[in-house]
Amino acid sequence: MKDVRLDQTDAHRPASRVALCSVGFAHEDRVVLDGLSLDLAVTRLGVVGRNGSGKTTLARVLAGLVAPATGSYRLNGIDLARDRKAALGEVGILFQNPDHQIIFPTVLEEIAFGLTQQGRRKPQAEDMARATLARFGKAHWEAAYINTLSHGQKHLVCLMAIVAMAPRLLILDEPFAGLDIPTRAQLRRYLAHYTGNMIHITHDPADLAGYDQALWLDRGRVREIGESAGVIAAYVAEMTRLGEADDIADLPG
Amino acid sequence: MISLTSPVRTRAHDWPAGAKLAGLCLATLGLFFLADPLAHLAALLAVLGLYALPGRRFLRAGWRSLRMLWPFVLVVGLYHLIDASPVQGAVIAMRLVTAVALATLVTMTTRLTEMIAVVHWLTAPLRRLRLNTRALEIAMALVIRLTPVLLDKGAALAESWRARSPRRPNWRIVLPFTLLALDDADHISDALRARGGLHSPED
Repeated sequence: MKDVRLDQTDAHRPASRVALCSVGFAHEDRVVLDGLSLDLAVTRLGVVGRNGSGKTTLARVLAGLVAPATGSYRLNGIDLARDRKAALGEVGILFQNPDHQIIFPTVLEEIAFGLTQQGRRKPQAEDMARATLARFGKAHWEAAYINTLSHGQKHLVCLMAIVAMAPRLLILDEPFAGLDIPTRAQLRRYLAHYTGNMIHITHDPADLAGYDQALWLDRGRVREIGESAGVIAAYVAEMTRLGEADDIADLPG
Repeated sequence: MISLTSPVRTRAHDWPAGAKLAGLCLATLGLFFLADPLAHLAALLAVLGLYALPGRRFLRAGWRSLRMLWPFVLVVGLYHLIDASPVQGAVIAMRLVTAVALATLVTMTTRLTEMIAVVHWLTAPLRRLRLNTRALEIAMALVIRLTPVLLDKGAALAESWRARSPRRPNWRIVLPFTLLALDDADHISDALRARGGLHSPED
């Protein structure tokens, strides 16, 4: 597939250069990413696609959690799967399920963890974690235990833990799936505290209001990429058409 | 929900973790030098008194985490009844409960980061041998953080079983539960990797 190029650089917010070169990934025989090539300057990128289109695998590759099986991936020229130390300042990822993300039993410890991983001493990391809590108006959460928080509150802890580390690019992997309408709206507002670049992966186009570019992933390939409104309109039209069909009946193989 | 954390902030939270752990060591060691059942009863009552000091909520949380000791107490009790040495049995059972209660008290009133700092200090000689002790430190955090999560998952699995079966969940639930736990472990390893993995920040 030929490279797709898009440039959208904001003077205040230097874009993150995402360069995928025929990236392939498979779980046993099932191809998940199929020779994906992209060269994008990302400030706000939405990624849409159906369940099983490879979105979560793409998120893991983009965050450097896994190396592509074939091809190569660089973010701002860095091989994130190799150079994990540099990766911490380049990219953060918010998972779908906060219980998969939170490692420590109290809020302050969870937020300070990433900061010590970036090489800060414990007292400094805790001060920064407190400052982040204060910035979100949650100073009183400091000593709260994770297992006493609601699902939405755990999401917010995950968000604060990443925002504290101030990565240049934030990857969101369907973070709002399964949340009620008020919680979604509140988390979306808190997300505005993060001022870096974002790649937001979702199957719900409503999450992508205000995004300038969008990528439509279909069976591990780029179906369409470009200016957000056009891509999303085409995606919604196709999803509506498929909704009337019965491809749920198809078995793999 | 069972957890090893305190629902309220106590004065003991402000004491240094190293001192609490050293105190725990000495007290537990001391229990082994006590042979008099009355002395053991006094020690047990004193520890229960400590649980009652921070108030009713703390006492209830402590009771919930200590309740799981009953099978051990039962086994020790039965053995010594059969063995016709009830006094010795009572001493062992009380010693067991007092020691675990004290340890739980320290766990409940100590922030994990402080506990980990003590382990970090204790394992300094291992690091001099170029062993990575970070894994040990993170593992402690994961146990405390994920025990309630796994218990919830197990309860959900049992519920899903009951929703479609007239009988109680049996051993066949063990395999799916193990798979769930392994799946969670995969996700957590991603989360660790996303924030720098197991390398020590000082390396």
